[in-house]
Amino acid sequence: MVEVNIQNVWKYYGKTVAVKELNLKCPENSFLAILGPSGCGKSSTLRMLAGLEHISAGDIFFGDLRVNQLPPKERDIAMVFENYALYPHKTVFENMANPLRLRNVNREEIDKRVRRAAELLQIEMLLDRKPMQLSGGQKQRTAIGRAIVREPKVFLFDEPIAHLDAKLRAHMRGELKHLQRRLETTTIYVTHDQLEAMSMADNIAVMHEGVLQQFGTPSEIYNHPANEWVAGFVGEPPMNFLNCRLERGADGVVAVHPSFRLALTDAQRRLLEEKGAEAEVRLGVRPDTIAYRAGAGSGLGIAAKVFVTEPLGGDMIVEVQLGADRITVKTKIGPSANLDEPCTIAFDAARIHLFAASNGIAYF
Amino acid sequence: MASREIAQYPSASRRVFGVVTILFIAFYLLWTLLPLLIMFLSSFKDLLDAFQLPATGDWGGVATLFTFEPTTKHYENLFLELNFGTYLGNSLIASLGSAGISVVLGSMAAYSLSRLDFRGKNHLFFWIISTRMAPVVAVLVPLYAIFRSLDLIGTLPGLILAYTTFNLPFAIWILKGFFDNVPYAIEEASMCDGSTRLQALRMILPLVAPGIGAFLVLCVLFGWNDYLFSSIIGSGGAKTLPPATIGLVQPQNIQWGSIMAAGAVTTVPMLFLGVLIRRYLVAGLTMGAVRE
Ligand SMILES: Nc1ncnc2c1ncn2[C@@H]1O[C@H](COP(=O)(O)OP(=O)(O)OP(=O)(O)O)[C@@H](O)[C@H]1O
Ligand SMILES: [Mg+2]
Repeated sequence: MVEVNIQNVWKYYGKTVAVKELNLKCPENSFLAILGPSGCGKSSTLRMLAGLEHISAGDIFFGDLRVNQLPPKERDIAMVFENYALYPHKTVFENMANPLRLRNVNREEIDKRVRRAAELLQIEMLLDRKPMQLSGGQKQRTAIGRAIVREPKVFLFDEPIAHLDAKLRAHMRGELKHLQRRLETTTIYVTHDQLEAMSMADNIAVMHEGVLQQFGTPSEIYNHPANEWVAGFVGEPPMNFLNCRLERGADGVVAVHPSFRLALTDAQRRLLEEKGAEAEVRLGVRPDTIAYRAGAGSGLGIAAKVFVTEPLGGDMIVEVQLGADRITVKTKIGPSANLDEPCTIAFDAARIHLFAASNGIAYF
Repeated sequence: MASREIAQYPSASRRVFGVVTILFIAFYLLWTLLPLLIMFLSSFKDLLDAFQLPATGDWGGVATLFTFEPTTKHYENLFLELNFGTYLGNSLIASLGSAGISVVLGSMAAYSLSRLDFRGKNHLFFWIISTRMAPVVAVLVPLYAIFRSLDLIGTLPGLILAYTTFNLPFAIWILKGFFDNVPYAIEEASMCDGSTRLQALRMILPLVAPGIGAFLVLCVLFGWNDYLFSSIIGSGGAKTLPPATIGLVQPQNIQWGSIMAAGAVTTVPMLFLGVLIRRYLVAGLTMGAVRE
């Protein structure tokens, strides 16, 4: 219900810097995922939004309201904690009812809302239990329930479904996204799981070592990663990187690797010229954009050797030895191959990425 | 989460250990309960009966310990002639008063020490606990001088203050441990739910209540059983039960019956207190269960 605006925010813990000059905007009623590996400052950011952590420098606005000096109570947020933080001496029902009781909601209304949330989270039968008697996943759902019983200005989720089993996690992804759409509440969702970020969020902020790497829609992040780090972090299996040299010939630009030469498209050539690309680059190619055929001389342009094949039911991951480099290829299921069996692969020039070797910034 | 039933498997050594445990407990019960039993019995006996003891080794004669005409004259003597009612009241007011003040102030201090970071916190904490390192007698004389100049000698407020001086640092030290045991995230969650800092503290109070209750009892016991402070700082207007009981030992005439009765009067209230808060005492020891 409000736009959240983070401006030049820094967070220090003593001398350690957890968040560096963060600028981030979460539009009204949209779903923002903050994605990054462990220790990148995601929780710190969220806790500053909640008012649990002092903001070392910079400003946070909810709409036009600067909230730096406001305690959590006055920010009208609901937060789900990484480690549940349930009230151990209260039942599941009382845990979920607490935010409503603090707002003097009447009894019938409390009962109605708690039961509705419990039903949504499939924990109706646990309402009389204490947190001690719950499994990890049940605790986590109780914690989510405590947040969704009321309608706050902003939802803050800190890895709310990280501890659930895969099936329930997939189910909860859908439920949470649906819930967010239905309640139309500004939501900021912290996760280290790119699948969650990609599938749920309107916008993703990718963070690494306290620094915002890229902000964009899931498709922007996936298709146009801003740098090598983002490209490598987002996507499963991760993108392959190969050291190449650019050679400019009469007929265009070619990326040269000891094992192959790849001619770039005209559009790519123009982008490289615009950005004044250096000769040394890193070629990024996603596993599912590489064509693969087993057998020597099987027709694709580049000869390589199989390192290992990993069948995944309908698909197959093939690790391919390409000179000194090893790359991952994702292909339709086929017969397994043994170590060092020959194969051929091909790259789709239109779907590769090039990054500056010096600083990892993307050319395209 | 794992249940708290411990899986046990029978073995020879476990059986032997079980027998040894029972023997030890039996001996321990005899050791601790027998003196109490003799005290209670003797307090209802006439002086002559009280000294009817069986000869050493005469186990059949144990029965003579239990054959007597019960009399309440010692109790009548204590309360009607010797003013023990007042002393009992003094004991109660001084020990409960000091325990209450210590626990309330101690909880507040312990909460801040546990939850807040400020410069010199560790030094402050060490200083607080170091005040308990000096033996009581070492500070008694200066304390007496101070109290005299403030006209606190022989008054109940003076005695309460003296006990609090000793209870408070201990309370802060112990209670900080209880607060440390409660994850801060619980308060954070409560604040995100929309409570103020104070309401968040109220939210975790039930979690530390067993600890606070257990410690309250320790403070009461300290005041209740104290002899030194009461005989020096309380002497005159604020005499409590222990010095009053000692007063029954006179050079010419040791009033055994009354001493036993006074002992019973001193013991019984604390026994009741113990039974009353037993649940809390046990819960206080299992505080670890709060952790998620
Ligand atoms: N209270 C604290 N005191 C000191 N350093 C801290 C504190 N909290 C976090 N840090 C440090 O700040 C950095 C960011 O921590 P943060 O908790 O925000 O990471 P995160 O992205 O949430 O990681 P995770 O995915 O593991 O939860 C880390 O390097 C961490 O060690
Ligand atoms: Mg975190």
